[in-house]
Amino acid sequence: MGEDLCSEYDVIVIGTGMTESIIAAAASRIGKRVLHLDRNDYYGGMWATFSFDALQRWLKECHNQDQKNITNFKNKTYISQDEILISCGSQSSVSNIDEQWFIPKNVPVNASENSFSKNEKNDFWDQEKIKNLSRKFNLDLAPKLLFSRGSLVDLLISSNIARYAEFRSVSRILTWYNGQLETVPCSRADVFSTKDVSVMEKRLLMKMLQLCAEYKPNGNEFKNFEKKTFADYLKSKELTENIVHYILYAIAMSSINTPCMTGVERTQKFLSSLGRFGNTPFLWPLYGSGELPQCFCRLCAVFGGVYHLKRTADSLVVLKTDMKSICKGIVSNDQFLSTHHLILNVSEAPSSFLQETFNEGLSRGIFITNRSIYSSEKESLTLLQFPYGIKNKPITVIEIGSSTHACPDGLYIIHMTCKQNTNATEDLKPAVEKLLEIEQIDLDPSHSASSGISGFAYDYEIYSGAIDMTNKENQEVKSVRPQVLWALYFNCLETSQCDLSVNVPSNIYLTSGPDADIDFEFAVKQAKEIFKKMYPNEEFLPRAPDPEELLLDDEEIISGDNNSSLTSTE
Amino acid sequence: MDKYITLKAVQFSYKLQIIIFSVKYNTQVDDYTLTASNMTKTYDYLFKLLLIGDSGVGKTSVLFRFSEDAFNTTFISTIGIDFKIRTIEMDGKRIKLQIWDTAGQERFRTITTAYYRGAMGIILVYDVTDAKTFENIKNWIRNIEENASADVEKILLGNKCELEERRQVSKERGERLAVEHGIKFLETSAKTGANVEEAFLTLARDIKTKTEKKLEASNPPKGSIQLKSVEQNRKPTSWFSKCSLL
Repeated sequence: MGEDLCSEYDVIVIGTGMTESIIAAAASRIGKRVLHLDRNDYYGGMWATFSFDALQRWLKECHNQDQKNITNFKNKTYISQDEILISCGSQSSVSNIDEQWFIPKNVPVNASENSFSKNEKNDFWDQEKIKNLSRKFNLDLAPKLLFSRGSLVDLLISSNIARYAEFRSVSRILTWYNGQLETVPCSRADVFSTKDVSVMEKRLLMKMLQLCAEYKPNGNEFKNFEKKTFADYLKSKELTENIVHYILYAIAMSSINTPCMTGVERTQKFLSSLGRFGNTPFLWPLYGSGELPQCFCRLCAVFGGVYHLKRTADSLVVLKTDMKSICKGIVSNDQFLSTHHLILNVSEAPSSFLQETFNEGLSRGIFITNRSIYSSEKESLTLLQFPYGIKNKPITVIEIGSSTHACPDGLYIIHMTCKQNTNATEDLKPAVEKLLEIEQIDLDPSHSASSGISGFAYDYEIYSGAIDMTNKENQEVKSVRPQVLWALYFNCLETSQCDLSVNVPSNIYLTSGPDADIDFEFAVKQAKEIFKKMYPNEEFLPRAPDPEELLLDDEEIISGDNNSSLTSTE
Repeated sequence: MDKYITLKAVQFSYKLQIIIFSVKYNTQVDDYTLTASNMTKTYDYLFKLLLIGDSGVGKTSVLFRFSEDAFNTTFISTIGIDFKIRTIEMDGKRIKLQIWDTAGQERFRTITTAYYRGAMGIILVYDVTDAKTFENIKNWIRNIEENASADVEKILLGNKCELEERRQVSKERGERLAVEHGIKFLETSAKTGANVEEAFLTLARDIKTKTEKKLEASNPPKGSIQLKSVEQNRKPTSWFSKCSLL
């Protein structure tokens, strides 16, 4: 364990997030010597997926981050005259952490029977029970979906990295329309079977989607709408209100301000991914989004990349000339490691590399609930674009159940993501209040949920028909909405819009953390761009051979009964 | 670090430009593996096994002895080895063993959590000539408990048992540790081949027994349902045509 690292590399990568991991894999795949470091003892950085316990440790670390003292390196033996040492930063990228429990610490067995037997068909949950099932949880810091025909699915297949991961298809897409949840018909079969739209509307919807699917840049259809919004366009087609809503919010995942052509492109992307793997265009990685960076790390390691967690660059050695500056290597644990290229997650970058202070952020919410936001016979994997967030910014809601290994049986995980406005708790409130039950469950029956002791105001009028049209009685409607058992809110940085190459030496490449989009497209694009800058003439992640295709050089095999090779049994 | 195993990719599969995407469709859960293979199912069971242990204990050698019946003294650390496949026959059932190597990520204890996913059996390996690798087995077991599924089958191997003169860990100590954790134990030699085959077969048998018990339990009236019949139902034919683009 005490062995030292080899001191020369072609590429040193710091941070094991999605972009960094893809680049590490791509460089290693073409035979470059790669060293991949991460300051944490887990993979993924802000893309990580945690068990419940691990998430608690992460929260603790976030709280302690401010007190972290960065060791200043005075040791100049690593550097020659023209070189300078630049201390690495550790930008605190998480803020406004707000963790809430809505259930008692623990419930004696008989007490839970008495007070909850009447209305709870599920087991009663207490904090201890959740904590004991820690490992059954896979909670994502950055939950993301894959478009079935998106760049990541293509990359996973073409590079053969797909063999490291498994997926489940998103089974339904919901929308919030007229104060209630509705299933959005997206496939042809859905459109025919749905009861929410009339025959006339079905025809309109099909026709409209056909138009978007067949759109080509030189077509005439959208000519007069290039400067208008997608909503304007849809209105001009004399569609009914609910069809406009389905297309605008659920299929194009847009808002009323989205330009027409962006909307058309998004609709097209959605439609083109339909029917490849499931009823919706999306796939969800089993065990969480945090698995995917690790798959790329595995490939990097298989091709010789060296991995070391809990280790990072303390400082960078930069050679400054009149014209430009070049990074010679890093100092890590008092060892100088030279490299031709350095990939650095933006949170690790020295502050002098960053042009501006980041003011974009994401608001995230993670909720453990006792049932689905929209119950159905089979467990569903749900995507909902909640259209009415703060300032009409949509809130992305993903609900996953135990079949994705996200949580124990009987529970659901609901992820909410939107662009930061003030803080996560406030930003997500519109969706939380409409979809979830967020009152404290108290053991004392006199403090039951209906007594209204919690600070949240409920307007039952708004959603009395929300979940079940036939159910007009408040108490019963309440029991249908999922009760939140535990909630976590936080904000993190969003740097996808920033130019990260301005003040940076020519062989250092900064990578972003998770972006606001629903998919991994941005990370894949950024990784490809950086790889092309580093190795313009090399192929990006060519297909890795299957194990059956690998043969050792004959002379390297010393002995062996050749007749019983593995192919004989295949 | 300089010695690499040379990789020769067999050309024929590259020439198949048309890649058939086989979609594994489970009847209960919509799970997908995005594979670009066109292999027909030639087995009754597929078991994913993992090799775990410190660097240099001979995990890759054990793997090569089992999969190729070959021994190679030259690989210094594992490069280019992802996993190996060997299909065995047991009680008339064809069992495909997919055995994963650590890809060198054990060196600084940086095995990805993804490595443990779906593993049904784990082969823990230490080096009988290096006491430290034996002491670390406890850490690896903790690592497994944290990351692998709770009902994963395990076996402990003391490798390099042909090097009797350099032995630091007695067979009894190995046995005791195995008993402590309730797992089986064998001393192996990847070089001579001693007990390697037996180790894999023992683990495969334990997994097979467990799998069949589970199958029986889930289908009590019909008795043992073969996984094969389940696989036939998997073909997502009607389902594919149903959701073609509008």
